[in-house]
Amino acid sequence: MAVRGMYRRACLLGLSLIALQVSADATWQYYGGDAGGRHFSDAKAINRDNVAQLDVAWVHRSGDAERHADQMVQTSTQSTPILLPPEAGESLVYCTPFNRVIALDPASGEERWFFDPEIDRGGDRPFRCRGVAYYEEVRTAAQGDCRHRLYMSTHDRKLWAIDAHSGRPCRSFGEDGVVPLYGKEGHVAGDVSNSSPPVVVDGTVITGSTVIDFVRSKTPRGTVRAFDSLSGKPRWQFDPLQGHRDSGSANVWAPISVDRELGLVYLPTSAPSPDYYGVSRPGNNTYANSVVALDIATGDVRWHFQHVRHDLWDYDTPAQPILFQWTKGGADIPALAQLTKQGFVFVLNRLTGESLWEITEQPVPPSKVPGEVTAPTQPKPIAPPQLLDPFLMPEQAWGLTPIDREDCRRQLAGLDNLGLFSPLSEQLTLMFPGSLGGANWGGGALLTDSPVLITNVNNIPFTGRLIAVDEGDVETKRDHPAAGHRMQVTMHGTPYMVEIGSLQSFLGIPCNRPPWGKLVAVDLQAGTILWEVALGSVHEMGPVTAPFDIEWGTPNLGGGIATAGGLFFIGSTMDRQIRAFDVRDGSTLWRYTLPVDATAIPMTYEYRGRQYVVINAGGHHMFARGFGDYLYAFALPR
Amino acid sequence: MRRRVLRVGPLAALLFLSPVWAAELKVVNVHGEPIAQAMLTRTPVDLPTADLSDDGYAPHGVTNTTATVITRFTNAAGVVELDDFNAAATYRVRAQGYVDAHLTTLPESVTLQAMSPEQFVASYPSNVWLSQLEFGGDDKLRKSFLLNCAFCHQQASPFMRNERTVDQWVSVIERMNTYGARVPHDYHETMGELLQTEYRELRENPERVPVPRAWESHLSSVEMTEWPIGDGFSQMHDFLLHPNGFIYVGDNLFDRIYEIDPDSGEYTVYKVPHEEGTRLGGILGNRFQVFPKMYNYYGVHSFAYSGKDGNIFITPSMQQSLLEFDVTRKTFIDHKLPGGYYPHTIRTDDRDRVWFTLALSSQVGMLDRTSGEFEIIDLPARSIKEWFILKSLPLVFSFDPENRPTPAPTDESIGLPMPYGIDVAPNGDVWVARLYANDIAHIDGDTLEVTMIEFPYNGPRRLRVDADGKVWIVAFQDSLLVSYDPTTKKFKHYELPVVSEIPYALNVDRQRGVVWVNGNQSDTILSFNIDSEKWKVYPMPRQRFFTRDIEVSEEDGAVYTTNSHFPTWQSEGGIPTLLRITPLEP
Repeated sequence: MAVRGMYRRACLLGLSLIALQVSADATWQYYGGDAGGRHFSDAKAINRDNVAQLDVAWVHRSGDAERHADQMVQTSTQSTPILLPPEAGESLVYCTPFNRVIALDPASGEERWFFDPEIDRGGDRPFRCRGVAYYEEVRTAAQGDCRHRLYMSTHDRKLWAIDAHSGRPCRSFGEDGVVPLYGKEGHVAGDVSNSSPPVVVDGTVITGSTVIDFVRSKTPRGTVRAFDSLSGKPRWQFDPLQGHRDSGSANVWAPISVDRELGLVYLPTSAPSPDYYGVSRPGNNTYANSVVALDIATGDVRWHFQHVRHDLWDYDTPAQPILFQWTKGGADIPALAQLTKQGFVFVLNRLTGESLWEITEQPVPPSKVPGEVTAPTQPKPIAPPQLLDPFLMPEQAWGLTPIDREDCRRQLAGLDNLGLFSPLSEQLTLMFPGSLGGANWGGGALLTDSPVLITNVNNIPFTGRLIAVDEGDVETKRDHPAAGHRMQVTMHGTPYMVEIGSLQSFLGIPCNRPPWGKLVAVDLQAGTILWEVALGSVHEMGPVTAPFDIEWGTPNLGGGIATAGGLFFIGSTMDRQIRAFDVRDGSTLWRYTLPVDATAIPMTYEYRGRQYVVINAGGHHMFARGFGDYLYAFALPR
Repeated sequence: MRRRVLRVGPLAALLFLSPVWAAELKVVNVHGEPIAQAMLTRTPVDLPTADLSDDGYAPHGVTNTTATVITRFTNAAGVVELDDFNAAATYRVRAQGYVDAHLTTLPESVTLQAMSPEQFVASYPSNVWLSQLEFGGDDKLRKSFLLNCAFCHQQASPFMRNERTVDQWVSVIERMNTYGARVPHDYHETMGELLQTEYRELRENPERVPVPRAWESHLSSVEMTEWPIGDGFSQMHDFLLHPNGFIYVGDNLFDRIYEIDPDSGEYTVYKVPHEEGTRLGGILGNRFQVFPKMYNYYGVHSFAYSGKDGNIFITPSMQQSLLEFDVTRKTFIDHKLPGGYYPHTIRTDDRDRVWFTLALSSQVGMLDRTSGEFEIIDLPARSIKEWFILKSLPLVFSFDPENRPTPAPTDESIGLPMPYGIDVAPNGDVWVARLYANDIAHIDGDTLEVTMIEFPYNGPRRLRVDADGKVWIVAFQDSLLVSYDPTTKKFKHYELPVVSEIPYALNVDRQRGVVWVNGNQSDTILSFNIDSEKWKVYPMPRQRFFTRDIEVSEEDGAVYTTNSHFPTWQSEGGIPTLLRITPLEP
C-alpha cells in the first residue's frame, strides 16, 4: 500500500512537472498566466536588447468612462486579459469594472463582441473585475455553442457562463447562463461582491467572494462554492469559518490556484470579521488567513497552513498561491509560494502543506482590549527574509527637512510601537505593514529557469486605534485611508470604531525612509533576496507635479509578469507608468506614461509572430488619481 | 563561610526518605533499543486561577500558585521514574536526535522517532551554530559581536539565524544599540554583511555545524524542578536563596520581586514603589522604545541578604539608590546614594556591610549598616581622558536622557571600564571584575585599599571566591573559566566543555569545591570540580534557556538558576522559569 502510494505520488509529481512546463508558453489563457499563478510567459521576442523600442501597438477603450461617468470614481480597474486558444476564437478577452466582457482582435485591438450582464450598480461599494476564466467544456458537441466557455463572477454576486466565440450566455448553465451566488444575504450589491475570476477544472467552477469585513461584527459567510461547469448545479461548498456563528467572512477574494494533477485547489483565505476586533471569534479561527487545499472533486480539506492566527490586522491572504517545483538537495517537491501582507513568503509542500523552510513561532504582544485573547505566537519562516523591515523607531523617523523629520519623530515616540502583530487598542498604534501590505493581490512572477520570484511590495507605515463608541452613535466617516485621509469606520456589533491612516508628517510625506514601494527579487530555494529597487516615482504625488522623476517608490496595487526575454513588466504605481525591469538586477530598461494609473497585472502573448504586452489602465478608487477605461497594447515596431 | 538554612523538612524528606515511585517509563527507539539520557518532563494541567490583573502580573502582595514542572532522565536501560502525582499532567519525552513525544498519560513505554537530518540540525542549540560564525576571520569583530550581543539572548537560535537582508541586519544592530549594546558604528555594515553571508552558508552547509555535546550518564542522578513565573516580557535577572526558605527572584524589567515557596509553588509578588514623576528607565531614560511591555523605573538587578536581620539588598540599576526589602514587613526602603551610577552586582559580608559595583561610574559602593554610612570607592581610571569622563558623569546626567551626550563606541574603545561582578572572600576582602577594562580589583576589607590586577583574558564579567580564597572569573567573549590565586598571583584558565558558550556568571559551592558556570548559548549549565578539574554538563529542560545567576544550596548541593533570556518570549514555552537541579539519592 505504501509502495503504491509512493508510485502514485511519483506519477503525480511527474505530471505536475509536465503540466507546469507546458503551461508556461507564449499564450496567456489564465488570469495568472497559468493555473498556478506564475505570471510567466515563454515569449521572448521582446527582450533586454530591444525593449527600449517598445511602443504602443493599439489602445482600446471600453466605453465605461462615458457610459458610467458618474460612477467611475467608485471603480478600480484591475483586469488582466486572457488570450483564447485558436479553437476558442483566439480573441483577447477582458472585463471592465462593471463586469462587461469584451473580446478583441489580439493584433489590432478591434472589438469582436461584448457581453454586458447589466449588473446591479446599487450601493456605494467599489466596482472591479480582475478577469474571466476560460474552459473547454468537453461534454458538449465539438462544434456546438458553448463548447468553449468563459466564466465570470460579478459585482452583484452572479456566476455567468458565456460562449467564447460570441459572448452570448450559455443557456444550459444555470438559468439562461447565470447562477446566483448569493445566499441569505440577498443579491443587493453591497457587502458581498466578487472581484477575482473563478477557476474551472475537471468540470467544476469554483468561486470565492469579496466581503466588506470591517464594518460589521457579523458579516456574511465567506463560503467558497463549486458548481458543475456544464449545468451550473452546485457541487460542494466550503465555509472557512466553521464554528463561529457570531462572526463571518474569512472569504476568498484573491485569485485561486489549481493543481489538476494532484486534484487540489488552493484557496487563499482572508480575515474573519471584523478585521480589527476578535472578541466575537475566539481562538485561532483555523481556516482563516490560510492557504487551504481542497479536493477539487469533493471540496474536502486536504491540508491547511495558517499564516496569521486570530487576525486583528486585516492580514488577509492577498495573493494567488504560486505553484512551482522545489528542487533542492536532491529533493524534488511540488511546492507553493504564498506571499502575505506581512511581507513573508511562505514556501510550502503543496502535497502536505508543510513548510519547506523552518518555521519559528514568534511570540507577539497581547491585546489591551477587554475580552480579546490574542494568539501568543505567529509563524515566521526562517527564510526568505521578510520583504520589508517592520521596525520603525523614533530615531529612524525620516523627513525632507529637519522640521518634518522632527514631526515624524515626535509622532513615532507617542505610538504604541510593538513591532509586527501589535493589536490595536485605544492608544494610537503603529501598523507596519498595514492592511495594504507588504504584498497584495498583484502576487508575484516566478521565472521559469530559476526559482526566482519577483514581486512588488508596499513599504508604508500606518497608525490605527480603536475608539470606544456607543452603538449607533457614530457613523462611518470614511471607509478607506486614501489620499492622506484617515478612515473612521464604526464596527457595528462591537464597542469600537476603528481609525486608520498613514503615518505621515504635516507635509503629507511618509515618516519612514523611502522607498515607499519597491520591487523585490527572492530566490525561493536559497531563501535569499537577490535584489530590490524602488518602484515608482513620487513626482506626481505632491501638491505640484515635478518635471522629473523622483524614484522613491510609491504605494502600489497591481502586479507584474516576467518573460523569457529576461524582463519583468509592471504598472501598479502612482505615477501612471508601466515599466520593464531587467530580471537580473532590477534595472529599468523601459517605461511608458499612461493616461491614468494602471493598477492591474499586465499580460503578454505572441500572435501571428508578434509579441504584445497589454495592460489595463483605469485608476483605482483608493489612489483617487483619475479614472479611465483604457486597455493598452505595446509591441516592437514592425 | 556563608550558610543557608533552607526549609529542610520537605527537602530532607525528598532526599533521605525512601520515595515510593509511582510511575516508570521506558524510552526506546523504533528498533526497541533503550534510549539513555532521554528527558521526561511532567507539567501539571490544572492550577488554581491566578490573579494577574496588574498588566498581566500578580498585583502587589497577592499570592498565586505556579506549576511545578519536574524533569528527570532515563538511565542506561532507558528507564526513568517519577514520583506519585495524583492530578492531570502532560508529559514530554525528549532525546537528542529524536522527535519529541507528547503524552497525556504515562504509558509503560514510549517509542521515539528519529529526527530527519533537517530536524536534527534545526534542533541544535545556539552555541554550535555560533561556533561556526567566523566573521571572515576577523577575531576582533567576532569578539565585539559576542561582547555586545550575547549577554541578552542566544545569538544563533532560529530567531536570529533566519535570513535577513543586510539592511535588516543593520536595523537590528542599531535597535540593539539603543537597548544597551555598544557595537561601534563602523562595524554595523560589515557585521550585517557577515551575519547574512555566514548564516546563509551554514544553512546551505549544515554539516559544518558540529553536533552538540551528547547528554551524559550523570543526568539520571538528578531531578530538575521548574517554577514558571512572569510572562514572555519579563526578565528574571538575579535571585536569592533566603534562609527563611523562600527564593526571591527579580524581574528586572518590571520592578517586581517574586517571593517563591519551593515547597508549595506559591509565589507572592512585591512591586517596587516609585515616586510620582519618576520616569520609565529611571535616570538612564527608557532605552526600550520598541518593546511590548516595560515597567522599569528602578530595575531590580542583583540581590544579597543581610546575615543580621535577613533583609534583602537590591541594586536598582536605573536609579542612584540602593533598595532594601524588609522581609518581615514586606516593604521596600530606598537608600539614596551619595554618588555613583548604575548599581550593578551586590554582595554582603559578615560585618553587615553591603558591597556593590557602580558600573557606569567605575566605583564600588559600600553601605555599613552599623553606621548607616555609605562609602564610595573610586576604581582607578586607565587614562586622564577616562578620569575626565568619569568625573564629568554628574554633569552628563544633569541633561535630560533624551538629549544626553553619549560617547560613541569605537573599535578601540567600547566605553567605560564597567566594574561588574563582585564577591566577598572568606577573609573579608572584596574582589571586583571590570568587564571592559580587562582587569580585576582587590579591595582590602579593613583598609579599603584598592589594588588593580591585569586580567590576561577578555571580558571578566562576574566572579566568585572559593573556600580557599581563590577567585573564579568568567572570561565572557573568550569563553573561558579563569582562576586567580592571590597567593601565587597566577591566573589559570580552563576551556569550557561546550563550544562557543559565552559565560555571564558563576558561583562556587564552597562546601563541595564545585564551580558552577552558567550557560546561555548551549541550553546547559556547567559544573567544574576544583580538585579533579573535571566538567559535567547539565542540559536545560527548555530550549533557548539563557541562564544567568546561579545560587547553590550548600546543605544539599542543589543548584538554582533562572531562565533569564531577554527577550524571554524567544524561550521554549515563552515564559521564564526558576530552575532547581537536585541530586537524587543513589
